[in-house]
Amino acid sequence: MTNIVPLNNQSHRDLRVMALVSDERNFVAVVAGEFPHLAPHYPIFFSKDSETGAFYCGAMLGFDEGENLFVAEGRNVYRPLNLQRGPFFVAGSDIAIDLDSPKVGSGELLFDESGAPSVYLKSIMALFRDLVPGMEQTRIFIEVLLGLKLIEPIDINLSFDDGTRRSLAGLYTINQEALRDLADADVLMLFRRGYLHLIYLMISSLAQVKFLAQRKNTALRAGLGLPR
Amino acid sequence: MQPVKDIVIVGGGTAGWLAASTIAARHQGRIKAGQFSVTLVESPSVAIIGVGEGTWPTIRTTLKKIGVSETDFFRHCDGAFKQGGKFSRWTTGADDDFYYHPLVLPQGFHQVNLAPHWLAANDGRSFCDAVCAQGVLCDEGLAPKTITMAEYDGAANYSYHLDAGKFAPFLQSHATGKLGVRHVLADVIKVNQLENGDISSLDTAQAGTIRGDLFVDCTGFAALLIGKTLEVGFKPCSDVLFCDTALAVQVPYDRPDAPMASQTNATAQKAGWIWDIALPTRRGIGHVFSSRHMSDDEAHSILAAYVGPAIKDRNVRKIPIRSGHREIFWKKNVVAVGLAAGFLEPLESSAIVLGELSSKLIAEQMPANREIMDIVAANFNEVTSYRWGRIIDFLKLHYCLTKRTDSQFWIDNADPSTIPERLQNLLKVWKYRSPWFFDEFDRLEEVFPAASYQYVLYGMGFRTEVDPYELAVDEKLAAQYMRQNITSSFRMRSELPKNRELVDKIVTYGLQPI
Repeated sequence: MTNIVPLNNQSHRDLRVMALVSDERNFVAVVAGEFPHLAPHYPIFFSKDSETGAFYCGAMLGFDEGENLFVAEGRNVYRPLNLQRGPFFVAGSDIAIDLDSPKVGSGELLFDESGAPSVYLKSIMALFRDLVPGMEQTRIFIEVLLGLKLIEPIDINLSFDDGTRRSLAGLYTINQEALRDLADADVLMLFRRGYLHLIYLMISSLAQVKFLAQRKNTALRAGLGLPR
Repeated sequence: MQPVKDIVIVGGGTAGWLAASTIAARHQGRIKAGQFSVTLVESPSVAIIGVGEGTWPTIRTTLKKIGVSETDFFRHCDGAFKQGGKFSRWTTGADDDFYYHPLVLPQGFHQVNLAPHWLAANDGRSFCDAVCAQGVLCDEGLAPKTITMAEYDGAANYSYHLDAGKFAPFLQSHATGKLGVRHVLADVIKVNQLENGDISSLDTAQAGTIRGDLFVDCTGFAALLIGKTLEVGFKPCSDVLFCDTALAVQVPYDRPDAPMASQTNATAQKAGWIWDIALPTRRGIGHVFSSRHMSDDEAHSILAAYVGPAIKDRNVRKIPIRSGHREIFWKKNVVAVGLAAGFLEPLESSAIVLGELSSKLIAEQMPANREIMDIVAANFNEVTSYRWGRIIDFLKLHYCLTKRTDSQFWIDNADPSTIPERLQNLLKVWKYRSPWFFDEFDRLEEVFPAASYQYVLYGMGFRTEVDPYELAVDEKLAAQYMRQNITSSFRMRSELPKNRELVDKIVTYGLQPI
């Protein structure tokens, strides 16, 4: 269950939040501004919102429901903003918190003794300044790509060391053939808007699927008592 | 050589705009290069008939090919999903008498014929439920896809219910806006012919003379070019299909979120049947009947009983149905599409699909010049005659398998003298062998494939004798597909949203192009 309430320095004065604990999620929505930080670690795909069918960008953290293969990394690997934000949400210009989140209880204080936001809460506020407009910028990026027919479905089939197989559905990536066939004017437009960079980051991030699978195999082998 | 490059379509109903869009989309390159033109002449004073609110899955390919977005279609045409027909009271007339004619093929249809295996099992399951999931989806009012599936993709095969009064203007704005079709609003006052009988041009009251190389007659029942000018005869089939009148009414829902059926309901009556088509904003209901067997008054009271109190104050429209078609469809440089080519009762929604298939054939086989046109026309006539014949057979199948004897209408319908010979012969053959892939229906584009015959035959209790030795050949494969059907029926039931819920979402959020 969730219990989302607007944050205030009176009732939430002594509240503590675990800053570094990541959700156990295998796919998380990301914004275009994060791509340079994400691409060295995570595959970035397009996927569709199950409620509206709208495309969004997401980073893959694992293969099975709730499998985050980066949980143990802490600060070593860039964490997508939607994981960093923990139990916080934005409600208009205010910040809200889900009091029922398991991350609420121990950890960082949100306010100092004078009632001013703590360093941690300030970092969350700064995060939303990137995340909120970032979502709109990403939506426009996707809209432009759809208009140019640059998005295509991708099938990913994997087999792991324990003999299991995975077929990942509902993922989309850049259509490289359509990219090569673009008219010069469109290429220039994509470049000027900074989209060409994002496109190539998405393409190069596909190589991370292999490393993600290796992470899973390492974990599996450890679990099976096999040599790493 | 006299090139064929200026196409003139006369009539601005569904058939006219379908033909214009299909031809223009296929010849976009030449149109853009200024070497080809498509002009649609529409009388500003003639209202469109707007029959046909049901379509076949071919409509998805047609719309996709002419470059229409499925989201736009739903938003502008009051569109809803259709997953087949539910036929009630056609066999015995009892309350529990119904069967489905779904739009999906039986499982593994290209590998194995499940019909004999279903017949042998004789386990009380309906044929439809034994071989496919779609009857269950219809029973539960589910949509054939989810919001995350791309435009025109589906988990189950589907077509649409639509508002014909909105569909024609929708196609018009696409054809004129995106495909370069010229739209002329003018009344044709004189048809000018050459010595060889070809039509050379049309004189109009408002827009002068319009010349053309090929004329497509979409003038509906008037059949201005193919009938009045070129005097091609009409071949009635009222000796086979008796219904000749329809009383149609539009009924609003009692609340905006009322469930919306995802199939066309066709409920047999004393001397005909009632269609019930669910659109998001209203239901279209009509009583199709044989005036030889029933008076208008009685037909009206049967319709009123079906609709209930909601019929009060609603406008009931009377539509004559002159069942039959032209003797030929393409003569000289005139080809007829839509009601000008023929009309049948809307039992299996054949009107729009025939218009689509004819438009496609014209677009694909567009003669390069006048010299080869007669050869193309001969082929068109052969294919189109075959299609009309098969549709008439298929509609008759729904009637002639009845066991009802409660009125003269049903007794007459089962009388062998009213059943076309080809159908009679096939029914004899099917007593010993069920219709299947690569059988009697081997044309590239059959309107109703062998699977459709299976659904109607076995839905209506027809029995084919089963040879146990033949069954053994593919028994394992058949069992495998039957099991697969159970699994996939279960999966689809749990994954698919309600029909209305999805249509509302499409209107709100849209479907993605991929």
